[in-house]
Amino acid sequence: MVKLRAKCILVGDASVGKSALSQMFRSDGGHFQKNYSMTAGAELVVKSVSIPDSGDSVELFIVDSGGKETFVEACEKLWGQPSVLCLVFDVSSEASFRNCGLWLERVRAHCQGLQVPGVLVGNKSDLSSRREVETAVAQEWARSQGLEYHETSAKEMENCEAPFLSLARAFYALYQDRIQTIQTLA
Amino acid sequence: MIDSALSSFGAQVILSASSDENYPPENIIDGNTESFWISTGMFPQEFIFRFTDTVKMSLINIHSYNVKNLRIEKSTSSDATDFEVIAQKEFEHTEGHLQENDFSLSGTTATHLRFIITSGYDHFVSVHRVAIEGTR
Repeated sequence: MVKLRAKCILVGDASVGKSALSQMFRSDGGHFQKNYSMTAGAELVVKSVSIPDSGDSVELFIVDSGGKETFVEACEKLWGQPSVLCLVFDVSSEASFRNCGLWLERVRAHCQGLQVPGVLVGNKSDLSSRREVETAVAQEWARSQGLEYHETSAKEMENCEAPFLSLARAFYALYQDRIQTIQTLA
Repeated sequence: MIDSALSSFGAQVILSASSDENYPPENIIDGNTESFWISTGMFPQEFIFRFTDTVKMSLINIHSYNVKNLRIEKSTSSDATDFEVIAQKEFEHTEGHLQENDFSLSGTTATHLRFIITSGYDHFVSVHRVAIEGTR
């Protein structure tokens, strides 16, 4: 039995729903903050995820970074050696999707060549009439960047766990892979 | 002489920041480079050894993989307090074989040794053997 620990960097434009998503995940869908309160600086959410059929688990240390430019620089100090990345945009905001490339660049600057598993999350999937980013477009871009794509609605409690579970699984797979490599060295 | 099994110095691991029960930290002191301890994510990582008696060391030799920055501290107290830095180094990245690094010490005495890995070349780093040359 092993418990891995992963630092998960949660980024994306302001008000796309990063905190709502991480809080929904933390509370198992019990807590959706209706009123927007901007994250100034960063918040840490810690939650353990079990890996099916293994008895093992991954403890995610989610660094929820305020998306507003004013706070980003301070937050970046907490991004050192990230384990996994969760990049969020709002499907009803084309601009938030366009900025994903910039966020990715920013985070990669802290990865020091490490392979960092990542997901792209299109949040607010409940706003179907106001949708500006088509699923296929987001999916295609995610694939081109080596990210797995998920759509969520923190408000409707839809699919909020999926991106984090997928990251935990990817990190676990990386661990298994590294053990195999190391065993061949000795 | 170099003592390959630190456990023969009466060393015990009293703390480790990571533990996968399949790769326990005791693997570091069993004198064997095939068995290893692996970190389970995030940095820093550390482990502490305790000796039964004060040991006077002239060399510490470490076999590891993907360790980048390592700091070694020692304590001469009986209760693992008041650690002081005795060495630090940035290891070279190796691929396909283990990293081997020596730290020369001029007869430094210690009851405890603490190894702090502050960064790695990968998410997970392994330590296969810590050997010391010295006298009890």
